[in-house]
Amino acid sequence: MSGITKGKKDTKMRIRAFPITMDEKYVNNIWTLLKNAIQEIQKKNNSGLSFEELYRNAYTMVLHKHGEKLYTGLRDVVTEHLVLKVRVEVVDALHNNFLQVLNNAWNDHQTSMVMIRDILMYMDRVYVQQNNVENVYNLGLMIFRDQIIRFPLVHAHLRDTLLTMVAKERKGEVVDRGAVKNACQMLMILGIDSRSVYEEDFEKPFLIQSAEFYRLESEKFLAENSASVYIKKVEARILEEAERATHYLDKSTEEPIVKVLEDELIRKHMKTIVEMENSGVVHMLKNNKSEDLACMYKLFCRVPDGLRTMCDCISAYLREQGKALVTEDDSGTNAITFIQSLLDLKDRFDHFLHESFSNDRLFKQMVSSDFEHFVNLNPRSPEYLSLFIDDRLRKGVKGMSEQEIENVLDKSMVLFRFLQEKDVFERYYKQHLAKRLLLNKSVSDDSEKNMISKLKTECGCQFTSKLEGMFKDMTVSNTIMEEFKHHLQLSATNLNGVELFVRVLTTGFWPFQSSLSKCNMPSAPNMAFEAFRRFYLGKHSGRQLSLQPQHGSADLNATFYTMKRSTAGSSMDLVDDGAASSSAKSLRKHIIQVSTYHMVILMLFNKKDLWSYDEIKNETDIPERDLMRALQSLALGKITQRVLSKDPKTKDIEPDHMFTVNDQFTSKLFRVKIQSVATKGDTEPERNETRNKVDEDRKHEIEAAIVRIMKARKRLQHNVLVAEVTEQLKARFLPSPVVIKKRIEGLIEREYLSRTAEDRKIYTYVA
Amino acid sequence: MPPRKKRSSTAENEVDKPKKRLCSKKSADSSFSVKRCTTWFKTYCSAENDGSIGPDGMEKFCKDLGVEPENIVMLVLAYRMEAKHMGYFTLNEWLKGMTYLQCDSIEKLNRKFDVLNASLSDSVTFRNVYRFAFEFSLENGIRSLDKTTAIELMNLLLDGRWSLSKEFMQFLEQSKFKGMNKDQWYNVYEFSHHILPDLSNYDEDGAWPVLLDEFVEWHRQRSNKTSETGVDC
Repeated sequence: MSGITKGKKDTKMRIRAFPITMDEKYVNNIWTLLKNAIQEIQKKNNSGLSFEELYRNAYTMVLHKHGEKLYTGLRDVVTEHLVLKVRVEVVDALHNNFLQVLNNAWNDHQTSMVMIRDILMYMDRVYVQQNNVENVYNLGLMIFRDQIIRFPLVHAHLRDTLLTMVAKERKGEVVDRGAVKNACQMLMILGIDSRSVYEEDFEKPFLIQSAEFYRLESEKFLAENSASVYIKKVEARILEEAERATHYLDKSTEEPIVKVLEDELIRKHMKTIVEMENSGVVHMLKNNKSEDLACMYKLFCRVPDGLRTMCDCISAYLREQGKALVTEDDSGTNAITFIQSLLDLKDRFDHFLHESFSNDRLFKQMVSSDFEHFVNLNPRSPEYLSLFIDDRLRKGVKGMSEQEIENVLDKSMVLFRFLQEKDVFERYYKQHLAKRLLLNKSVSDDSEKNMISKLKTECGCQFTSKLEGMFKDMTVSNTIMEEFKHHLQLSATNLNGVELFVRVLTTGFWPFQSSLSKCNMPSAPNMAFEAFRRFYLGKHSGRQLSLQPQHGSADLNATFYTMKRSTAGSSMDLVDDGAASSSAKSLRKHIIQVSTYHMVILMLFNKKDLWSYDEIKNETDIPERDLMRALQSLALGKITQRVLSKDPKTKDIEPDHMFTVNDQFTSKLFRVKIQSVATKGDTEPERNETRNKVDEDRKHEIEAAIVRIMKARKRLQHNVLVAEVTEQLKARFLPSPVVIKKRIEGLIEREYLSRTAEDRKIYTYVA
Repeated sequence: MPPRKKRSSTAENEVDKPKKRLCSKKSADSSFSVKRCTTWFKTYCSAENDGSIGPDGMEKFCKDLGVEPENIVMLVLAYRMEAKHMGYFTLNEWLKGMTYLQCDSIEKLNRKFDVLNASLSDSVTFRNVYRFAFEFSLENGIRSLDKTTAIELMNLLLDGRWSLSKEFMQFLEQSKFKGMNKDQWYNVYEFSHHILPDLSNYDEDGAWPVLLDEFVEWHRQRSNKTSETGVDC
C-alpha cells in the first residue's frame, strides 16, 4: 500500500508482498490450530469446525512460505494417529472381525483424509506442485499403506484371511463376499496409480494358491471321472472363477485366474483327457457324442496347442478307420461298397466338423489330408470310384431322384479331389462311359453331362474333351442313321432284311484298340454294312471305317425245331404253332439278343449243324479269348440261356468239342437276352495292362512337360526343373523324381536337352 | 626315304657347320617329313579298306610298336588323330596325329610313348581322351555302347585312376542295363573325379544319371552288408 505513494514520477503501480515478518510464534500457533483440527477430524469430531477458518489458516501458512512445516506436520499427525490408534485397534481385532474392523478403519481414514485435503487445498495446489511431493490425499494413502497394511502382522493376516475365504467358497461354503470386495478395492486404491499393492498383497498369493488348489483338484477329477464329465466340471469351474473375479475380487483378476485354471485343468492334462480310455476323444467319435466333442473343442480352444492335441488324436483315429476301409481282404472287393463306405466315413466326419468343431480350419485341413492319405493307399481307388459312378449313372438304379443323384455325384467329386492318380481315373471313366453309351445304359444324358461338367470344372478342358467327343459321336451317329435311312429309301437299296444301326466312333476319343479285332462276318450283315460304308465314304471321303465286332450287338430271329414227346400229358410241349401230329416237328420262334461275336458263331449253324471248336475258330477268325467267352455264354450258361449244346457236356472247352443248336431250348420270354460272361471291373491281367498304358502315357506327359518348360526357360537347374514338372503335372498324377530324371536322360540322348559345359547340373534347351 | 635323310644330314654335319646353328637343334633323324609319314602309312593300309588302315594293318602296326591293341596308348594316339572308327585309320587321320607328335617312323613313335602316357596325367587331356573314347568305340549308327564294350573300355581308362572302378565294373556286370549312352559315359568320369570313395559327398539331387544313383545304392547296400557281418574295413 505504501508503494503507491512512493514516487509521482513512476506511473507503474507496484504492489509489494505482504510483510513476511511473521514470527515463529505466530506460525506455531497456526500450526497448532490446524493440528488440533486434524486430530478432531480423525476422531470424527469435525462438526464443530469452521471450514473457512481452517482453510484460511492453511492458506496463510503456505503463503508465508511455511508450507513445508505444514506438510511435514501433516504427515506426522496422520502417521501418529494411524500408528498409535488405528493400528492398535486393527491388531486387536486380528482374530475377531478382522476384515470388518479393517474396513471400518479404512473408510474412516478415507473420509477424514478427504476433509483434511479440503482444508489444505491451497497447499496441494501450490506447495505440492512446487516441491513435487505427493498431494495430501495420496500422502494419506501412502501412510495408511505403509503403517497399516504393510505392517507385518496385518499384512500376513489380511492375506491369509482373504485366501482362506476364497478357499472356503471354492469348497462350497458361503462367505462374506462384501468384506472381501471391500478389502480388494482398498488394496486397489492403495496402489495410487497402479495396481501394484493389490497385486503384491493379494493377487500374487491368490494365484499361487489357486494353482495349487486346482492342481490337486484336477488330479482328483481325472482319477474319478470320465472325460466328458471332467470337461463339464472344468467348464463350470472356469465360469465360477470368472464370476468370482467380477463380483468381489477385482475385475482385472479375471484374466489371470482363468489362465491359471486353463493351465492347471486343461493344458497339463490335455493328452490324458484326449486319450482317456473308454471316454476320450476316440470313444466320443465312435459313439457320435457330438455335444461332448463340442464342449471339449470350446475348452481346448483356450489353451495353446489344445486344438492340435485334439486334432492329432482324431487324425490318428480317422486314418486308422480309413486304412481299414481301403485295405482289401482276400475275399474280393466290391467297388460300390468300397466307395460307399468311404463316402459314409466322410459324411460322419463332416457332421462332426459342423456340429462339434464349428468348421474350424485346422480340423478341416486334417480331415482332408487324412482322406488324401488313405484313399491313395489303395492303388485301385481310381478304378473303384469310376465303377461307383458308373453304377449310379446306369439305368435301373431304383428310386433315386435327380436331386439325389446330383448329391451322390457331388460327394463322389469330393473323393475325386483326394485322388493322386487322376489320370488312372480318367482312363477307367472313359472305358466305363464308352460301355454305357454304346449299350445305352445311362440313366439320363443330363446326369452324364452334369458329371462331365463337374470334372471339367475340377480338371480343365483337356480332361473332358475326349469325353465330350464321345457324346458328340453319339448324336452325330443318330443323324447319320437318319440320312442313311433316307438314302436307302431314295435308292431303293435292299439290305436283305437286315435292319442296320451303325454308330460311328471317332478313333481318338474312344478308349478302344481299333482294328485289332476282326472276324469273318456272315454275308447278310456284311453286305448291309458295306452298303452303309459306301454311303458314308461317299459323304466323307478320305476317312476310314473299320468295324468293331467286339462292341456290337445283334437281334436274331431263331427258330427251334423240337421233336414232340409222345408221352401223354407231358408238359414238355412248347408249341405255338404247328401241326398236331405226334411225330411232326414243331417250331418255336424266339428273338435272341446277342453280341456280334455270338451272332457270327450262331449264323454258322445255318450252314452246318455240327461244328467243332477248332472249326468255329478257323471259320470265324474270332480271337481266342473272346471266342471262349462267347461260347461259354452260349453253351455253358444258365439253362435258360443255352442256345447251343456242347458235346461232351463238360465245363471246359477243348478244340475237338462239338457244338450244335440246342433244340431243347426253352424260355418263357419271346425275347431272350444272352448275357455275356462279363466281369465287373478289371481282372488282374487287365489291370496290369491298364497300368502299363497309364505308365506309358505318363512318360509322354512328363517329356512333354519337360520340353515345354525348357523351351520357355532355356536354362534351368536340375532341381528347379524337377519341381516345375511336378507342379505342372500334379493335377493329374504325382510323378516321382526318379522317373522325371529318367525322362530327362532320355531327352538328353535324343538331343532335346543338353547339360551346360560349366555346370553339369544345369540343363539347356537345344533348339 | 630314311637313308636319304641320313645322307643329307651327315652331309650337313660335315660340310656346313655354321649352317647347323641355324638349323633346328634336333638331331637329323627327327625332322618330320610328310612324305615319309605317308610311306610309313602305306605299309599298313590295304586296298580293301579304301586305302585306310584296317584291322589287319592295325594288328601289324601294334606288333611293330610292341604294344597290345588294348593298350591305352593306342587310344591316346587315336585321339590325337581324331580317328572316327575304332580299328581304322584314314590317311588324313594318320597324318594329323603323326604331325602333332612329329613322328614319321616306328622308332620315333616308340620314343614318344612316355610322352603319350604322361599326357594322361593332365586331367584336361585325360578327360578329352576319355570322352573321345566313347564316340570312337561306337558302332555305326548306334548311339549307345553295348555293355561288354563299355565295361572293357571303362576298365582300360579308369582302372588304377579311380578307387571305385572295380566296384563299378562289378555293378555294371550284375545290372540289367544294356547300353550306355553318351551322357552316362561322361558323367561316370565326372563322378570319379568329384565324388569321394566313401560316397559321402554324393547328393541325390546332383542331377546324376539314374545309373549312378543305382550304383551308389548298390554300393551302400553292399557296404552295409559287410559291416553287418563284422568284416573289418
